[in-house]
Order: sequence, then structure tokens, then C-alpha cells
Amino acid sequence: MISVKELVRESHLPSNYFAPDVYIQGDLEAGLIENRKGARLLALPEPFLRAIYEGLAEEVGAASESVLYKCGAWWGKTFYRRFAEEVSQHHKQPLAEIEMIEFLQCFKQSWKTHGWGKVDLDFNFYQQGFIVVQVRNSAFATSGAALGKPKCFVEAGLLSSFFSGLTGQKLHCIQTTCESLGAECNHFVLGLPERVKRAEAWLQENHDHATIMDRLCQGQANR
Amino acid sequence: MDTALQSLIYAADDHYLSDADLDRFGKDVQALGDRIEAYEYIRERELSILQPAVDYLTEEFLGSDPKLLERAVMHWLSILRYAAMAMLLNNSEYLSRRILEWLPDLVEVYQLRDIELALYRLILVQAKSSLSPEQLALIKPYLEEAYAVLLNAKPALQKAA
Repeated sequence: MISVKELVRESHLPSNYFAPDVYIQGDLEAGLIENRKGARLLALPEPFLRAIYEGLAEEVGAASESVLYKCGAWWGKTFYRRFAEEVSQHHKQPLAEIEMIEFLQCFKQSWKTHGWGKVDLDFNFYQQGFIVVQVRNSAFATSGAALGKPKCFVEAGLLSSFFSGLTGQKLHCIQTTCESLGAECNHFVLGLPERVKRAEAWLQENHDHATIMDRLCQGQANR
Repeated sequence: MDTALQSLIYAADDHYLSDADLDRFGKDVQALGDRIEAYEYIRERELSILQPAVDYLTEEFLGSDPKLLERAVMHWLSILRYAAMAMLLNNSEYLSRRILEWLPDLVEVYQLRDIELALYRLILVQAKSSLSPEQLALIKPYLEEAYAVLLNAKPALQKAA
């Protein structure tokens, strides 16, 4: 027999921690936007992001890509730490013990609530050592000049260190499709650096996402 | 905040409210009183609405994993609480944001759709006997909304295919 009274007493009721109306709050008197834990949030206007992209490209040329990736990676490290802390506290258990589906729900909702687009994870290539991330309405695809190649370097860096934190292994991330090039969504492939970096050459040869995934998985099968 | 009252406050941004608006304001405030009463009533009778429904559910799904049944019960506990709050605020978006946008994936992964839909039906039967027709009319649209969302979650067989 299930006792509702006992369930209420002992269990954690499911709820959406990152629901935007409760997660994003403000201290209007002080001119602050904060998350529900009191950490400051900033709303960045698109022209500012564009200015960073273009300013960097002008100053350091092609190196701006790796600078942006590193900025994203640094940001992702702290984002992961904050995410893990908040979600663990909310669920009253360590992140590693939270059910995978509940972790995914939190991850997807946090992305949406921060205004970074709609994210989905594809674990179909997990056995081969890859996780594919899809992002629609990315905040980073419209910034900066067209490069003729995927350009969400900040996002790729952010994902690399977020999932490195989560898995405890150093992961690299490459972007295989980009909304700025007319793709339906941004695709990012995460995996161990020596495995994923092989895809960079195929990207330069303009291979599509499906071909790149086939080749990456084939490479793993041949090992 | 109550969405109807909020829209009147926004409307009064730079002018006095019209007589028709003021009339609406009065009615909305009155309706808020009814909703507060219904909210209190549901809050006090949460257990007496849910426990019989859960007892019937365990009979109906005798061979099912008790952990799965408990999970579905937890979902509906949350739905009832958020639905009551959404009713109080007269704001269905509150219910969607806080729980309904979040639930279908969980229902799909744990293959709970049939259990959750049965529980909705049983809770509604209990709500009908515990609440007055007026109170039921206030909360029912929110429960129906939750039902509609869960109905669209993929059933177990479709998922396996």
C-alpha cells in the first residue's frame, strides 16, 4: 500500500528548478538581475556579443577562434560547478546520484532559461565514445561576421568543459553544423581530444554532420 | 500575480481605468476571494483526495512495480499543488512552466503514461466528491490541462517501437 502522507514526508517532490519565473529574479532597487541563489546574471545585448567577436577578429585574426573557445571553456568550468551545486542542493543528493533523465531535464531547462537556445543531447554514439549536442536558436550563431564555417566557438568551449566536469575526463568539442550556415540547428560532437580532433580535417573538406559521425565511429570500430 | 488583475494594472499605465474596466476589476477581486477559498479547501483535503485515488490505483495496477506507482503519485501530488497555485493566480502558464513542460519526458522514460492517465481519472472522481461544484469548476481546467499534456506523452509501446 502506498501512503501519500509518507511519500510527502520522505520524498522530494519533482519540480522545475530552472523555471524562468522563479529562477530569474531581480533586485530592481539595486539594478541587479539574479538567479534564485542570488548569483548575478547579466543580459548581454546581441550587438555587444557581435562587438567582441569582431573586435577579437580584428586584433588577433584567426587566433580569435581559439581565444573564444578558451573563454567558453573557462565559463563552462564555473557554470558546471554552479549547476552541480544548485541541482544537488535542490534534489538533496549529489549530481552523480540524480537519475539521468532528471539531470537532462535540468540541463535542457537551464539552457533555455538562460536564453542560450534549446538544447538536446543525443547518446546514440555513446558506445563509440561520443556525445552529440544539438542547439536550436543558439545565442552565439548570429554574432560576428560569416566565416563560411561553424563559428560558435564560445558554445563549443562551454560544452567541452561542462561535460569534462560531468564525466571527470578531459573532453574536446567540435561543431559540425551551424545555424549561421543555414543549418536547422548547431551540432556539437564531444569526445576525447585525440578522437574528436580527427574530425577537424573532414570539416575543412566540407563533409556534413552525418558523414563526420560515420567516419568518427568507423575510426573507433577499426581500433 | 493574477493575470486578469495584472492586465488591468498594465492598462492603467498612463490613464484612469474606464467604468467597464473598474467593473471588471471588482469582479476579478471577488473571483479571487472564491479562488482563495477553493485553494484552502484543496490544501486541507489533499490527503483525502489523493489517498483513496492511490488505493484504487494500486488495485488497478496490481502487478506493477510499486516504485513506478510511487513516482506517478509524486507527479500528481506536484500537479495538484501547482494546479491549485495556478488556479489561485488565475494563470495557466504557471502550471506549464513549473511542471507540465517538464513532466512528459519523465513520463516517457519511465513509461508511466497509462498509470498517470488512470490516476488523473481517479483523482477527478475523488475531487468531485470532496469539492463543491463551484470549487471543482475552478480547479478542473488545470487538471485537464495536465491530463492533455500527459496524453500526448508517448505510450510505452510507441516508445519501444
